[in-house]
Amino acid sequence: MSHVDEGTLHAYLDGELPSGDRATLEAHVAQCVTCRAALADERALRDRASAVLGRARPLERPTPPFEQIRRTPARRPWHVRMPLAWAASIVLALGVGYLLRSPTREVAALHQQEPPAVEPTVVATNQTRAAPPAEQKTAPLPQERTRRRAAAPADEQSRTSDKTTPPADVVAAVPAVEPRNAPAAPVAAGRVNDSLQRERLQASRLEGVVVRGAAAPARSERDMAIDGAPVQPSNPKTWPLIDRRLATSVLGEEPVAVPGLAVRSFRRGPGNDGTIVVEQTLDSVTVIQIFQRPARTSLNNSAERGRADHFGRFVGGLRVEIAGPVSTDSLNRLLDQVKPLH
Amino acid sequence: MPEDLADVYRNTYPALVRFLYRKVWDQGRAEDLAQEAFARALVHRPENARGWLFVVAANMARDEARRAAREKRHLTLLKSEPDAVHSAPEDEIDADTQRTRVRTALDQLTPRDREALLLWDAGMSYDEIAAQTGLARGAIGTTLARARRRLVEAYDAGQEGGQDVARG
Repeated sequence: MSHVDEGTLHAYLDGELPSGDRATLEAHVAQCVTCRAALADERALRDRASAVLGRARPLERPTPPFEQIRRTPARRPWHVRMPLAWAASIVLALGVGYLLRSPTREVAALHQQEPPAVEPTVVATNQTRAAPPAEQKTAPLPQERTRRRAAAPADEQSRTSDKTTPPADVVAAVPAVEPRNAPAAPVAAGRVNDSLQRERLQASRLEGVVVRGAAAPARSERDMAIDGAPVQPSNPKTWPLIDRRLATSVLGEEPVAVPGLAVRSFRRGPGNDGTIVVEQTLDSVTVIQIFQRPARTSLNNSAERGRADHFGRFVGGLRVEIAGPVSTDSLNRLLDQVKPLH
Repeated sequence: MPEDLADVYRNTYPALVRFLYRKVWDQGRAEDLAQEAFARALVHRPENARGWLFVVAANMARDEARRAAREKRHLTLLKSEPDAVHSAPEDEIDADTQRTRVRTALDQLTPRDREALLLWDAGMSYDEIAAQTGLARGAIGTTLARARRRLVEAYDAGQEGGQDVARG
């Protein structure tokens, strides 16, 4: 037998040589000094290569539970969803604006049947559908709406004085119109997870795409980022402040955050499922929120499951999601940076 | 079959992360992409899930590299924070240097040699590597022998180069 080539030696060392070839090779090597030396060389090379590669290994982290994977959406739908959600808020603006300037029959009915914290999205959807397109176009722009919102209820009262007292709530309940104020606003939006309302919301998004071209004002990048809003723990009672030690013990490991950003607070979620949120400041007016919970805990209510639809990632043993009034791109980048706090 | 995929997941996830890590060089991204590959597998239900996952992962890593190059400028937001500079401990710097050296060495392999080596290191058999790369099964041993030799040589050369720089 001629000498064994290096490819065969590597296949042998890798345990990938068919058994017949293997026996032949072993018999040959037993007698051939050259091939014995070659085999020793190749073994050393193989070990060396493994060692080199081993210096560029990722950290060994626990494999997240499989059922979490089912809920991890691809990123693309997220990007698609963003503008749709934004468009839906325009529909809202137009719808509410229309509502306030139209004869007040609907307003009165609305006021009677729905409590103040009711889902405004639904209101807007219905109204937008009822409204003829021409009316939509003349509906107030967001700036105007904002002014109106700030005005005394008396102003609105005068518009609708012939019937029931107009619901200032309807205006106040408009969600996520001003992303920067989002931390204070979106309790109501968090309830969108109710399946009926979600269906309606989807319907409104369809409407929204149509309207957007006519009415959407130019927006800065920061203003556009409203996606975090529905998950903001705005209510200090349901998301109580905790200290870092408690956060660590709730999670069972160090909380994670974006390195280099000041941590403003730690809060504990209402669900008792080990969720906490770390709030960090990007600048004096911008707060981002890093939601995190042990990856192994199951989500036990629909609101939580709704949130799991948001994009997120696993960091160590934690499932981590991010929200904040910056662009999706930036949130993506920030999420990539998240690490356990030292 | 999702049951089978759950098994594949348990057995393959760490290897897939490792495979991806050597392509994107970021742990978080590698984990993200591995999870996304499995999420896609849940939708597509491929017959040979393991092989399919590595193909999809390799494609995603390639897209990722292109995207990362395009989006580099978006990082300015993060870099503007002066506090973001934190000093890494010594051994972390050392690990960083090692990693960079391995990365540089891997870059000097031909794409096919590199792919075969990374797939082998991710626990794939010669048959699987052959299916994945289009190489003949009989050529895998030779390919791996060459890939290993080049990797070690390039790594050692990088180390000497690094020392030269340090001395000079």
